[in-house]
Amino acid sequence: MADILLKTEKLCKTFSNGGAQQHILKNIDLELYRGDFTVIMGASGAGKSTLLYALSGMDTPSLGTVNFKNQIISDLSQDKLALFRRRHCGFVFQQIYLIDGMSVMDNVLCAGLLVNKDKKALLKKAKELFAAVDISDETQKKFPTQISGGEAQRAGIVRALINSPEILFADEPTGALNSKTGLDVLDTLTKFNEQGQSVVMVTHDMRSARRGNRILYLKDGIILGECDLGRYCRGDTARHKKLADFLQSMGW
Amino acid sequence: MGKLFLIARSNMRRAKGQTAAIVVLILIAALMLNLWLMLSTDYHANFDRYHDKLNAEHITIAADIDTDEFYDHISNTLKNDKRISEFRLDDCMHMFGSFPYNGGVVNGEFLFLDKETALSRSIGRSELVEYGDVTSGVYLPMLYKTDEIKTGNFVEISIGAHSVKYTVCGFFNSVMMGSHNCAITQLILTQDKYDELADLGYAPKAALCSIRLNDVSQNSNAESELKGIISTRFPDIRIASNCYDIVFQSRYIAQGICSVILCVMAFLVLLIALVVIVSNIINYVQVNMKNIGAMKAIGYASGQLVGSLLFQFTVLTLLAAVVGGGLSYCLFPALNAMMISQTGIPYTIRFLPLPIAASIAVLCGAVALFVWLAARKIKPVESITALRSGIQTHNFKRNRVPLETAKTPLDVSLALKTTFSGIKHNLTVCVTMLVLSLIVVFSGLMTENVIADMTPFLNLIVGETADSCVNVQIETEEDFLRMMRDDSRVEKIYLYNSLNISHSGGAELMATICDDFSKVNNRNVVFKGRFPKYDNEIAVAAKYAKEKGFDIGNEIEITANGNTQKYIISGFTQITNNLGRDCLLTRKGYERIGTLTNVSYYIDLADGTDIDGFNSGIKNDLSGSVNATININETIQSVAGVYVSLMTVIVLAILILSAIIITFVLYLLVRTMLNNKKHDYGILKSLGFTSKQLILQTALSFMPAVVLSTIVGLIISCIAINPLMSLFLSTIGIVKCTFDIPVAFVAVVGIVLILLSFGTTCLLSLKVKKIAPRTLLAGE
Repeated sequence: MADILLKTEKLCKTFSNGGAQQHILKNIDLELYRGDFTVIMGASGAGKSTLLYALSGMDTPSLGTVNFKNQIISDLSQDKLALFRRRHCGFVFQQIYLIDGMSVMDNVLCAGLLVNKDKKALLKKAKELFAAVDISDETQKKFPTQISGGEAQRAGIVRALINSPEILFADEPTGALNSKTGLDVLDTLTKFNEQGQSVVMVTHDMRSARRGNRILYLKDGIILGECDLGRYCRGDTARHKKLADFLQSMGW
Repeated sequence: MGKLFLIARSNMRRAKGQTAAIVVLILIAALMLNLWLMLSTDYHANFDRYHDKLNAEHITIAADIDTDEFYDHISNTLKNDKRISEFRLDDCMHMFGSFPYNGGVVNGEFLFLDKETALSRSIGRSELVEYGDVTSGVYLPMLYKTDEIKTGNFVEISIGAHSVKYTVCGFFNSVMMGSHNCAITQLILTQDKYDELADLGYAPKAALCSIRLNDVSQNSNAESELKGIISTRFPDIRIASNCYDIVFQSRYIAQGICSVILCVMAFLVLLIALVVIVSNIINYVQVNMKNIGAMKAIGYASGQLVGSLLFQFTVLTLLAAVVGGGLSYCLFPALNAMMISQTGIPYTIRFLPLPIAASIAVLCGAVALFVWLAARKIKPVESITALRSGIQTHNFKRNRVPLETAKTPLDVSLALKTTFSGIKHNLTVCVTMLVLSLIVVFSGLMTENVIADMTPFLNLIVGETADSCVNVQIETEEDFLRMMRDDSRVEKIYLYNSLNISHSGGAELMATICDDFSKVNNRNVVFKGRFPKYDNEIAVAAKYAKEKGFDIGNEIEITANGNTQKYIISGFTQITNNLGRDCLLTRKGYERIGTLTNVSYYIDLADGTDIDGFNSGIKNDLSGSVNATININETIQSVAGVYVSLMTVIVLAILILSAIIITFVLYLLVRTMLNNKKHDYGILKSLGFTSKQLILQTALSFMPAVVLSTIVGLIISCIAINPLMSLFLSTIGIVKCTFDIPVAFVAVVGIVLILLSFGTTCLLSLKVKKIAPRTLLAGE
């Protein structure tokens, strides 16, 4: 039986907009499993990012619960949620969100030092991760505005993984990149997933979605359907067709 | 204009808090500026208004003689003096005296006039400001009205060695003789009491010469010359006198001090406001780079964008200055009451358009200039660069505090990174803390040297202090000194006599004559060179020496009683008395040109000695030979009360104002920082930083600038405060201030400032707590 990492029950998120209530997520019941590369798909405005942020403790749900390894995290205070995120989650954002005032290495260490006080061990791990995503020592010393988007996003992945999170959340990680650098980022995520890293990724790009083994399709705040693709294998056209058929059935 | 208004309104709406804080700072500056201008212009003019209204004297001379020969001589002298426009001679009585006042004793040269003469004199008329039904008694200058001294109450007045008790009939205003600061204090007696005093013979009959000049500026020299003429012809008579300049200055010492403080504070607050505005504009340009680019792209000219900022801040300043000016009228009655208690001249508050217009002009002008200087950054920005938020691909900034090698805890390291990245914030903090440090040191100085123990301040104002002063006739001097030598309560006794002498070809100088200057308590009177030691030496006021170009070692001629001798200048003195026209002579030095008819001795008594009892004992033992005894401690207490209460209010106001300013400046900076770093904080929160950590980082990021500038500011201020005080007090004859600096007070207030800054920053940063990381990331 698959190991459940995250579980939601009747998860709702509502925003108030000028007095009008906007229901973004509606009673979502969902389980996420360890080692999976889960992809959340849907059209713009479907609630993908809202779901991701609610799952990761970045945002609190309006109703319902989010359960992480049998602990309800949706009721935690902001500071306790921060502790939860630093210990269990890693984030990769569409806009990358490296801090401009810090070097690439500092961006990574800044997250790492929150959990790991052994600076020597941390530096060693950071170097390994940088090597794994092909970021040179020289680039590590640069500021985010001095490197390419692809390099920045790969640095973002290093930052997300520095604390060995149980889940890596990625919100449209290739959305702001060109196809070549986007591909590099996807390869990096795939590689880490193959090494056992659980990944939850939001995307509306089919090419990105192919990397997942489990596809959830979100429409108007509810999970309309789910597709089990199996592990990613480059050039597996049957797998790609299965995804295309699934998305077509969902009205993509 | 419409476009400018729209842009300015949009800017203000986006930054309501910052706008409010800047308005408050400008408002405080306007309030102080207007108070200062009102005090230093119209308040001074008020003296002249009353001087004109009562046709007051430019020179007043009271001579203890009432012979026809004197009247003829002085009449002829005054008639033949072309400088004199009009004069008047009146009969009066004149004697050294004292009465209880303000918890102490006020003493001085009392001049008794009968009511009818005092109120109807064509020159130097007095006006009653309060009176009751009592028809027999004394009218006192309005300055002396207290809870104890009021109409219908009794007042006991010591006149020479005697005392009389009168009912207070009321109070009057006299421009030239209405205060103990005027050298002559007028008391008005009802006719029956005047006749009674004349019969008692406690105060000798005297002639009062009231003189008005064609050219007021000659008052000091004319006074000196006229006294010289009188003392040459009538060498043995006692003379008291004053002139316009002396009275004008001495009645407005508190007003002068208050004016200087208000002026300095107003400009310091303005400086802080300007730094904050400049910092705000630079930040505005950075944060709104995209908007600026978009506006430029759609055709707005740089001039229009700069104009909108000019419009925004100038209009804000105008409104704040008008409100601040208005508020100053709410505070003015309280300030006026404090001032009147020192000047003793009534002042009616009225709207003064000129000071408020000048305040508004200064503030608007300064703000417009600084806004223009700061906003010029917009001009060279190209729209495409602005649209890219001003980011330059090639960036050569250094990675300060690299986490890889940093030895400090993570939160401290991140705070230091923020510190190094926010130079303009640090500059604003530094300027604010440096200014506040100076203000704090000044407060400490005033607390130590005026409020806690007034001796250092009095040493500057009055020169010398002791426990008791006894004035005896010269014939009794030997007996008196023998008595003092045998009295175990006497710790130190020295001759300390004041007499008028003339610098030949120069001004009249107040000479302090001492038998041994090594005994005086205030060693700071002579701040350069040394006290006179030999009979051919003199120490002169630095202010007068500067006017005349004298240096130590120069020889000057001194005249008294028609005799002239040469003296070598041994040192320079600084006392505010007598407009900086004073000098020190040894007794033997004075006796080369004159003879002492009576002598004043200053006495230091053993701790716990009853000074009044000691003085009474001398009066009893040497009855008839003692002209006056003064409890100097009590006298100081009565005079000091006004200054102490004034300084207490000023110090409290300064400390409260400092706290307000620091809070507002930090509010502005923290808000700006939170706006600028909202995005970064969102990232950090998403990474797992808690709100507490972010609040701590924000507060800590300000601390290097706060702590360093406070420490540096306090050290510099401690070093610079005495020279600065000397600069401000130079107009009243002070050249070198040697006030004690209360290191403990300064250190404690410095620590409080730092803690207040830290606490305020933490409190203001609490906003971070309420915002979810997703909201921060979205920049909402």
